Amino acid sequence: MEKSEVKRVLKLALNAGKMLLEYGAETYRVEETINSICINKGLHQVQSFVVPTGIFLNVEYDDEYYSLIHRTTVKRIDLEIISMVNDFSRKLLKDNMSIEDGEKELEKIENAPVFSLSLRLMAGGMAGGFFTLLFGGNVVEFLIAFINSILVVLFTTMASQYKISFFLKNLLGGMVNMAFALVLVKSIGNMVIDIQIDSVIIGSLMPLVPGVAIVNAIRDIISGDFVSGTSRLTEAVLIAVALALGVGTVLQGYIFIVGGSL
Amino acid sequence: MILIEFVFAAICTLGFGILFNIPRKQLAYASVTGALGWILYSELIGRFDSPVMAAFAGAMAVGSISEILARKRKMPATVFIIPGLIPLVPGYGLYYSMLKIIEADYTAATEIGVETILVAISISSAVIVTTSIGRKFKRNKAQSSE
Repeated sequence: MEKSEVKRVLKLALNAGKMLLEYGAETYRVEETINSICINKGLHQVQSFVVPTGIFLNVEYDDEYYSLIHRTTVKRIDLEIISMVNDFSRKLLKDNMSIEDGEKELEKIENAPVFSLSLRLMAGGMAGGFFTLLFGGNVVEFLIAFINSILVVLFTTMASQYKISFFLKNLLGGMVNMAFALVLVKSIGNMVIDIQIDSVIIGSLMPLVPGVAIVNAIRDIISGDFVSGTSRLTEAVLIAVALALGVGTVLQGYIFIVGGSL
Repeated sequence: MILIEFVFAAICTLGFGILFNIPRKQLAYASVTGALGWILYSELIGRFDSPVMAAFAGAMAVGSISEILARKRKMPATVFIIPGLIPLVPGYGLYYSMLKIIEADYTAATEIGVETILVAISISSAVIVTTSIGRKFKRNKAQSSE
C-alpha cells in the first residue's frame, strides 16, 4: 500500500468516527467503527482513543507511524446518521468498497434528511405535553405544557444557529421555559381550574433535560471508558445546573416583583 | 388505565424519536418499546416502592426488546434504546436536585440527587447487560455461519 493510500484510509476512518461522535454515538461504537474500517483496509496495527471532545488515531504500517488528531464537538443526537454510518462500516467489509466510493458514501450520509421544523416542533409539544400527563397532570396542564414545549423547542432550535455555548443555551432555555409557563399559567390557567406550575415545568423541560446524557455517561464509565464517561457526566450536571439557574432566576424574579409564592 | 398510560408513553417516545431523528420506518417500533418499558416501570414502582429496581426492570425490558428489534429490523439497537429509555431516564431529577441546591434546600437536593444517580446507574447497567447478551448471540451466529 502506498503512503498516500494509508493516509486516505486513516482519513476515511476518522471521518466515519467523527460523524458518529458528533451525532451522539457511544464511545465504544466510535472506537470500534474506526478500528474495523482500518483493519478492513489492511491496516492491522491501529490504536484509537476517543473522548467526547476529540479523536486520537494512530496506525503503524510498514515500519512507519501515521497519526491523526481531530477536535470535535457534539452537535445533537441524530440516530439516523448513527445507523447509516453503522451500515456503511458493515458494507465496507462485505462489498469490498473502494476508498473513493467510501468517501462519497460518507458525504451522502452527512446530508441525511432531517424531519421538517414544523414536525419537530409538534414532536416537542407531544413529548412535553404527554409527559405532563404521565406524571399525573390534568388536561389544562397538558395543554399549557404542550404549547410551552413547542416554544422551548423553537427557542433552542433558533439558539443553536448562533453558535452559543451549551451552558448559555440551556440557561436561556430554562428562563424561556419558566417565563412562558408563568405567563400561560397566570393568564389562562388559573381561570379554569387550579393549576400546579410544577407539572407544567416537568413536561416542558423534558426536551432540554440531560436524561440521555447522564445514562450514556454512566454507560461509558461502566464499560471502562472513564475519561469519556466523566466528561459526559460533567456535561450532564452542568446542563442541569444551567436549567435550574434559568428556571430559578425567573421564579425568584417573579416572586420579588409580584410578591407572594407560587 | 394501563392502556391509557401505554398510549401516553408511546406518544412521548414518538415525540422524542422525531426529535432524535430516528429512521422513519422505525418510529412505530421505538414508540411501542418505550411504552412497554414505561408500563413495566410504573407497574413495579407501586409494588417495589423503589424507583431504582423499577427503573432497572423497565430498562431491561427496553434493552431486550431493542436487541430483538435490532436483529429483525437490521438496525443498531441504539435506534430503539435511546428513545425507548426516555420516559425512564432521570434527567428531571438531576435538574430538580440542582434547583434545590439553588434554593438552599440541601436535604432535598441530596435526597433527589442520590436517587437520580442510582436510577441512572441501574438503567445503564440494565442496558449494558442486554447489550452484552445481544453481542454474545451475534458472535455465536457469526461463528456458526463461518
